[in-house]
Amino acid sequence: MENVVTHEDWKVCFSELAPGLVLFARQFVRTSADAEDIVQDAFVRFWRKEHSIENRGLLYATVRSVALDLLRRDIRRARREAVASLDMEQTTEPQFDFDDGSQRELAVALDLLPVEQREVLVMKIWSELTFAEIGAALEISQNTAASRYRYALASLKKNFVAHE
Amino acid sequence: MNDFSELEAELKKLRPRPVASELAARIEQGLSEAAGRGIATAGVLPKRRSFRPNWIALGLGLAAAATFLLLARVNVDKPSSKSAGLALITPAPVAPVARVDDSFVPSALTQVVYDTKDEGLHFTQGADQPVRRLRSRKRETMHWNNPQTGASLSVSYPAEEVTLLPVSGQ
Repeated sequence: MENVVTHEDWKVCFSELAPGLVLFARQFVRTSADAEDIVQDAFVRFWRKEHSIENRGLLYATVRSVALDLLRRDIRRARREAVASLDMEQTTEPQFDFDDGSQRELAVALDLLPVEQREVLVMKIWSELTFAEIGAALEISQNTAASRYRYALASLKKNFVAHE
Repeated sequence: MNDFSELEAELKKLRPRPVASELAARIEQGLSEAAGRGIATAGVLPKRRSFRPNWIALGLGLAAAATFLLLARVNVDKPSSKSAGLALITPAPVAPVARVDDSFVPSALTQVVYDTKDEGLHFTQGADQPVRRLRSRKRETMHWNNPQTGASLSVSYPAEEVTLLPVSGQ
């Protein structure tokens, strides 16, 4: 079946997916600007390949691939991002809007998670991907994705409660 | 039973910061550029797959091919006789071939000698007496014209000639 969508469909899809995609891309780079560049490149690449927008796992895999390509292309940049990533896990706040201090504490606890758990959590919570889609995006089994998700929640609960 | 349902609800309350408004515009531009290059865009934008010849490249290619064929033919018809003189030689133009058709015919050959070197006496194999070897460098210019159209063509190239002069014993 041909995947033909209209111009307005594209805008609707993007407005729904963009926040989650940028948040996911943000796991690989330090700045929102870099994350948006990654999403732009990935989204255009995804549409050019004529993939179905229903295939969200592939869309996230494209974002991940572009992000990793970006890191590989420039070794100096990769080193900088690695340092920034380490630094971010300890001090940098995530890209969220907070209503109260409790949410800020939760975001801080989220930043303490290992990257492989955090990216699963980001896809599951804010993009509502299934474990099968997450597994496809990360090239892992859905059982592994589910396992990482549970570990993430357990760690988060532990850290969040500790902060409370 | 999910022990984390409350935590999941808390997490969902966290709202990712809004994406920069210009990101959508940048993506739209990227998709438009992709469509302009004839790249598939999942039907978001109309595809332009029509064949567009590059007329400039095509014209240059044809001109180069025509020039090559012309020169190749001219070289085949090149007269073999060359003057052995060492001074500036400007022979009388070769009479155009009487045949009149739509093609180039040789009309003149100009030889300008700009360097002559005496390389001394040499004994060639099987010869009884030595010869003096003179090496001259010159520039030859060949001219063609088309009697039918009046078009002319000139080709100039460097040439080198070695002349062996018998040395008399006296």
